[in-house]
Amino acid sequence: MNNELKKLYDVIVIGGGITGTGVIHELAKYDIDVALLERKNDIAMMATKGNGGVVHPGYDPHPGTLKAKLNPRGARMYPQLAKDLDFHIRHTGTMVFAYSEQDLKKVDELCDNARVNGVEQVERITGDQVRNREPYVSDKVLGALLAHTTTMVDPFEVAIAFAENAKLNGTDIFLESEVQDISKDEDGNFTITTNHDTYRTRYIVDAAGIYADDVAAMAGIHEYKIQGRHGNLCVVDNHLPTPIRTVMFPCPSPDTKGIALIPMPHGNYIIGSTATMRTNKEDTSNDAEGIQDLLDGAHKLIPNFDDGSVIRTFAGQRPVALNNDNDFWICESETVPHFIHAAGIQSPGVASSPGIAEYVRDLLADAGLDLKPRPGYNKYRKAPVDFSECSDEEKDQIIAQDPRYGQIVCRCETVTEGEIVAAIHQPLGAHTVEGVKRRTRAGMGRCQSGFCQFKVMKILARELGIPEEAVKFEEDHSPVLLGHVK
Amino acid sequence: MKTYKYDVVIVGGGPAGLAAAVSAKKQQAKVAILERNGELGGILEQCIHAGFGLHVFKEELTGPEYAERFIDQVEDLDIDVFLNTMVLDITKDRHVSAICGEGVLHFEAGAVVLAMGCRERTRGAIRIPGDRGAGVFTAGIAQRYINLENMKPGTKAVILGSGDIGLIMARRLTLEGIEVEGVYEIMPYPNGLYRNIINCLDDFGIPLHLSTTITRINGKDRVHSVEVAKVDEHRQPIPGTEREIACDTVLLSVGLIPENELSRKAGVALDPVTKGPVVDENLETEVPGIFACGNVLHVHDVVDYVTTEAEEAGEKAALYAKNALKKSDASVAVHAEGPVRYTVPEFVDPEDGADKKIKFRVGAPIEKGVTVIKAGEKEVYREKKAHRFLPSNMEIHTLKCSAIAGVRGDLTVSVEE
Repeated sequence: MNNELKKLYDVIVIGGGITGTGVIHELAKYDIDVALLERKNDIAMMATKGNGGVVHPGYDPHPGTLKAKLNPRGARMYPQLAKDLDFHIRHTGTMVFAYSEQDLKKVDELCDNARVNGVEQVERITGDQVRNREPYVSDKVLGALLAHTTTMVDPFEVAIAFAENAKLNGTDIFLESEVQDISKDEDGNFTITTNHDTYRTRYIVDAAGIYADDVAAMAGIHEYKIQGRHGNLCVVDNHLPTPIRTVMFPCPSPDTKGIALIPMPHGNYIIGSTATMRTNKEDTSNDAEGIQDLLDGAHKLIPNFDDGSVIRTFAGQRPVALNNDNDFWICESETVPHFIHAAGIQSPGVASSPGIAEYVRDLLADAGLDLKPRPGYNKYRKAPVDFSECSDEEKDQIIAQDPRYGQIVCRCETVTEGEIVAAIHQPLGAHTVEGVKRRTRAGMGRCQSGFCQFKVMKILARELGIPEEAVKFEEDHSPVLLGHVK
Repeated sequence: MKTYKYDVVIVGGGPAGLAAAVSAKKQQAKVAILERNGELGGILEQCIHAGFGLHVFKEELTGPEYAERFIDQVEDLDIDVFLNTMVLDITKDRHVSAICGEGVLHFEAGAVVLAMGCRERTRGAIRIPGDRGAGVFTAGIAQRYINLENMKPGTKAVILGSGDIGLIMARRLTLEGIEVEGVYEIMPYPNGLYRNIINCLDDFGIPLHLSTTITRINGKDRVHSVEVAKVDEHRQPIPGTEREIACDTVLLSVGLIPENELSRKAGVALDPVTKGPVVDENLETEVPGIFACGNVLHVHDVVDYVTTEAEEAGEKAALYAKNALKKSDASVAVHAEGPVRYTVPEFVDPEDGADKKIKFRVGAPIEKGVTVIKAGEKEVYREKKAHRFLPSNMEIHTLKCSAIAGVRGDLTVSVEE
């Protein structure tokens, strides 16, 4: 198609992680044309899925930084967002443990930070108070910071909810669309070329995570560099012999919050994460040393932690803007107007996301974008049925309408065929085994899909109308099965 | 919501559930089997190789044939079977709730038999690092794909773990034209039955590498190679022994874990070693009226022994439901000692006049030894003939009731070299 005839978007957001989806969710409130370009075959496939899901309240960032501003702001928005967008949220609180006098000073510093950053309900408690709240905590803990308002979310579920709501309000979402070139036209608009198509837009928001600097470079912008901070994580079974209900951290170091034990919204736990800088942006493999560090870290918090309760290990990379004091890099480009960086979104990116989205909105407005309310805007999004949370009466009703809800596919997480079919046909439906897992939890439990994978494969093949050997595990070239036997 | 009343509700329609159901029914109990899959037989349905039934039927059957013998009896005896029915909860007072395509079902049970079997240990549980692409399977799901789904999981495989399913699958893959580069075992001895090493590896020229493990899996989209390394006596990889092997498939046969999530909901106490319920000689758990048998109780080596155990559990459950199960308070504990890792049962009644079947496994191979059972300091049982003990073999010994009548103190089971 002739370029001039192409639709001119007001804003194109590049990158469908928690940052990019947060931005499109925010922009959907306004009467503008917005599109999201995501290079992967699903949203939230990079740093967002390799994340612990803690909505840090904001006691951590140094006062005066962008983080200190956006983290508390984002975190405060989560409880209402969870209601409007119907995603799971768990109010856990956080404790940051002190093991020495020096740590106790650090705890006091964090309490001061909290005050300056405007974070409420943060207090210093004694070791005994810690163990009163969490009986399995190490005797070596002398005291702790207790932040009452910390919540837990599943970052993928949040990103899906953001994206679905945006889509519902007219945002175009293009998956498997890798940006390959960006040019500025004579009329001042951008033309973005992907592996599939070209797009025209007045403004660009670069939320491309670990590749944000590479995307910016396509537009001739060389204002910052991104490197990945690699982190190992473990998933722990929901039956832990030493159960906990509060997120637990040791005292932080400058680059990392340390290895935490995190109770997740659905009852299992995460240990995360290690922190080492990597130069290979694609490397999300994990390593034995990192896993051992995680287990050692868990034992430091809970001495009787059962290593046998680990059901999965994985890793992710958080995008770090170099030479930026570990702060986010969010601003309009100095050299190319109307190009907004939403980059360097390392921890606490999940917590900050709604705050970042509003901040980016304001940057766009400052850059001249006219933001009028969208007529007929719908702030809600309904989550699909979560069968495991239904009462017997509700279960009967749902099964009477669709007997596929009476067929359990994943026994560990109690996921029914009905839920999997619904997840496939959702607005941003699942079309891979891992996509089904992230949306429904099928395969996420202790058997790690040993019992249900063949059932999920069959359902995917049937619902997508493709042969089973064409069903992808996750990435584009990831067949689970390689044909038929004789 | 429908409510049913049964003397005995059996959770699981695999080999254990089937045998328990038949045996309970023969005691004139009203019996129901609740099975989550669409057919009875459990994992036997995908075990199309021969080797089942040598003890129970004195002939060599395939898995489906072995299951069929019991499924036929279930049909002949008119036992109620609920297929595609998943139990979601069991309470201490034996209320079982389940769902199926018709909705929620409730069962009031005189007695419950837990027969849910086991699951396979996964990559995550043994924490193999590397990339997380497609192509890593437990041996059991690979068996399912090939034998029942007619699908090919890969073209060149490395197998980790020398458990029986891994060995059987090494042969199965080879027969399907899928190259098996080798079987790797972290322990210095094989974990499967001796006959399977011969029949499945040696006969096909598949090498078994002991004291070797996979240290890394490579391939972001699909597996393209693994790194293996020799391990020391602490099972830690020895630097410098790493070797990279090109393959597109990894099969794991690294252990089985009894599936006791429902048992836990019912408040049943579990043994930390077997991961199965703590039971007495009637195979009754510490929750009265809830019995357990088969691989949900402890992982068995041969299905025939599952059958024998389940027949006993079914019978005892039926008697319990009719208030006819003899029970004395004189229970003594049975402890595992030395090389013995665990015992089933954990409690026996020395005064009830019945002989006791004691089952156990050792933690490491013993070239020559005898089983010895003591009551306090007093020896009450000594095996006559010395033999080899292997972790892969379940030992079953019968302790005469007369030998322990009147004993005080706990029993300890050990192996003397």
